[in-house]
Amino acid sequence: MTARAFVEFIGVEKAFAGKPVLRGMDLAIGKGEILYIIGTSGVGKSVTIKHLVGFLPIDRGEIWFDGQRVDQLDERGFYPVRRRVGMVFQNATLFDAMTLTENVALPLRKHQGLGWKAALADARRRLAQVYLADFADRYPAELSDGMRKRAAIARTLTLAPEVVLFDEPTTGLDPVNARRIDRLIRELSRTLGVTAVVVSHDLPSIMSVADRVAFLYQGRVHALATPAALAASADPIVQQFIAGRSSGPMETPGF
Amino acid sequence: MSAAPSLPVRALAALGRPVVAAARATLELWGVLIGTLAGIIRSYGKGGRRPRGAVLAQMYAIGNRSLVFVAVTLGFIGMVMMYQACLQFSRAIGDLSQVGLQFLRLVVSDFGPTLTAMMLATRVGAGIAAEIGSMKVTEQLDALRMSGVLPIDYLLVPRFLASIVMTVALTILGAAIMYGAGGLTAWLSFGVNPRTFFDPAMVQPRHLALGLIKAVTYGAAIPIVSGFCGLRARGSSEGVGWATTAAVVGSSFAVIALDFALSVGALWLFGGDL
Amino acid sequence: MIGERTLTLLGARAIAVTREVGGIALMTGQVLRALLPPRLDGRELVRNLHRMGNRSLPIVALTAFFAGGLMVVQSAPFVKRLGATSLAGWAAGYAVLREIGPILIGLMFSGRVGANNTAELGTMTVTEQLDGLRALAIDPIRYLIVPRVLAMLIMLTALTIIGDLVALVGAAVVAYLVLDIDWRTMYFSFADNLTPHDFFHGVYKSVAFGAAIALTSCYFGVTVKGGAVGVGRAVNAAVVAAAVSIMLLDFFITYATA
Ligand SMILES: Nc1ncnc2c1ncn2[C@@H]1O[C@H](COP(=O)(O)OP(=O)(O)OP(=O)(O)O)[C@@H](O)[C@H]1O
Ligand SMILES: [Mg+2]
Repeated sequence: MTARAFVEFIGVEKAFAGKPVLRGMDLAIGKGEILYIIGTSGVGKSVTIKHLVGFLPIDRGEIWFDGQRVDQLDERGFYPVRRRVGMVFQNATLFDAMTLTENVALPLRKHQGLGWKAALADARRRLAQVYLADFADRYPAELSDGMRKRAAIARTLTLAPEVVLFDEPTTGLDPVNARRIDRLIRELSRTLGVTAVVVSHDLPSIMSVADRVAFLYQGRVHALATPAALAASADPIVQQFIAGRSSGPMETPGF
Repeated sequence: MSAAPSLPVRALAALGRPVVAAARATLELWGVLIGTLAGIIRSYGKGGRRPRGAVLAQMYAIGNRSLVFVAVTLGFIGMVMMYQACLQFSRAIGDLSQVGLQFLRLVVSDFGPTLTAMMLATRVGAGIAAEIGSMKVTEQLDALRMSGVLPIDYLLVPRFLASIVMTVALTILGAAIMYGAGGLTAWLSFGVNPRTFFDPAMVQPRHLALGLIKAVTYGAAIPIVSGFCGLRARGSSEGVGWATTAAVVGSSFAVIALDFALSVGALWLFGGDL
Repeated sequence: MIGERTLTLLGARAIAVTREVGGIALMTGQVLRALLPPRLDGRELVRNLHRMGNRSLPIVALTAFFAGGLMVVQSAPFVKRLGATSLAGWAAGYAVLREIGPILIGLMFSGRVGANNTAELGTMTVTEQLDGLRALAIDPIRYLIVPRVLAMLIMLTALTIIGDLVALVGAAVVAYLVLDIDWRTMYFSFADNLTPHDFFHGVYKSVAFGAAIALTSCYFGVTVKGGAVGVGRAVNAAVVAAAVSIMLLDFFITYATA
């Protein structure tokens, strides 16, 4: 048996209603690494990370996490995986009937065995770490997008996950808030050894935070390199994406 | 100077607010009814544009959505009621020959129209409130007004007319199924001869008239209450959800309250002869 | 051909209904499984009981009052003709406790609490809040659905018991106002003719109705597709399914307990 990477996708295929999205994707992610996944809209970035936590079943292939094959687990089997692999959704998905504190306290109460009072106190402390102390008693609807994203990150981190999946954490944020999120991701990786898988379109963020970048194209990892190497790549398709040219060799469905 | 109001004043204000809100809502509800009646006069009077196609479309929508629903629910409840009635009659009187007559009187003058309308309040009321409510929050009602069409004429008048016609039609169907299902139960479970059961001798014109009046009244009340809830929808999709649930409860309760009022009225008119 | 089209339509509808019944059965299984072992979120249960009770008590009480009164009015011609005032309480009480009370209260509860529950869960579904729970390794069935199902079941049973009392009061008030029957006559008419059996017959039903309303409203909530419009459609489907379930269950329970 070959040694497996911490997280590994092997020949993963996925189609929706006969329309293939992933067509034999291979990707290995090391422990503690910050890996960015980039690619055009609709290429399957969100689908890829949803596969890892079992939100979507794959059609063919294998997914491994820490020496365990996870793609064949059922919904119940995925719960232990989800406690170790956190996910921050594209649109935060905070519970809108709860205040921020209650949102963050919920997993603490459910998984860390804290009582309600203790969970609330801990939740406040965690919100303060993402600079939301003043908004702890507000409801999600009363906050800005950036605040909601930070609260969602704080909520995900309550489980002390070993891997955190971020789906476009900086999209729609102003540059200042975006750089704050970048810093948070880097600190998580450097100080806690958390593996971060980040789906992003945000070039400055990619350049300054990523250890490696996987460029998805036509259902496969087309290029995998450090940000600098990718930027210097001679591949015409990668060049077109990085430079953001509307015309070139790249084939995008729907145009 | 703005001294804090004294306790009794504040208490009065706290009590007064819901009363004022309720009074305003009642006024608005009557406003919707009067507006709809005026809309009918506008549409069918001289030079009005008769919404014949729209009324037919609404009638089809109501019938299509509710026919099976009304038939199934009234059929089952007819069986249950007959079963309970027979149990009770045989225990207390020991004679089941009267059961069909009494049942027919009740079905025609009350259970048929009222239970049919309860079902329609659920089905039709929610639909009307959701449609009008989502048009309101997406500002389509304002767009209608801008193009010189009164929303009540365009939306509520056809639904109002269609609802009255279809409530009467479905009541006839529902009452027939209920009566038939009751007769079947009496025959199969208690051996009551269908020939004694299906004997219309007891039903008099006043029972039919009362049933008809009830059906027409409910048919008018459901779209008015639901339209009122839809027109009150505020905010976004949440407002529409609120309007929908309010319409279900509001029109169901309207049916019960109207049933009570009309039944008491009939009793007062006819007394023991009813 | 019209016949063919109607048949196709009916067939499609039958398939849809079958799928929904299957889905509700599946959810029932999941709820039962989540109750074994019974690790229940007590906080959520209490919160839901409080909310649902608050929301529905006034309308249920009002409905029950009228229902009791209505049954007196319906039996009034009979009572007047025979001059048998002692029968008024018997007829009204029997009908209210066994049938009219549980059914009307159930329908009102479905419109108020069930519909609201569908709208809430539906909104949570379309905004991916259920996936948010799953991502936190919190089972939505265990955390969201089970407390709501239990709360609706308990609350409807309690409301029916309260409603029964209110309905008997309503019957007495209306008997006094409309038929001039005094309180004592009504009281003895109830006490002499109604048995605990009549009362419990209605209470069993309300337990079943509560379960049916809860499961249908949750099912249609979590299976919402298509944004805000989908939520509206789901609410409509949920109240209709609840009404049909109430009538069917009423039928089966009546026969099963005969
Ligand atoms: N649940 C689903 N059902 C059907 N099709 C889906 C589903 N989820 C994703 N898809 C399809 O899969 C493809 C990839 O979607 P995905 O969300 O992964 O794109 P993405 O790369 O994350 O794009 P974006 O940058 O816009 O978020 C799209 O064509 C989408 O329509
Ligand atoms: Mg995406």
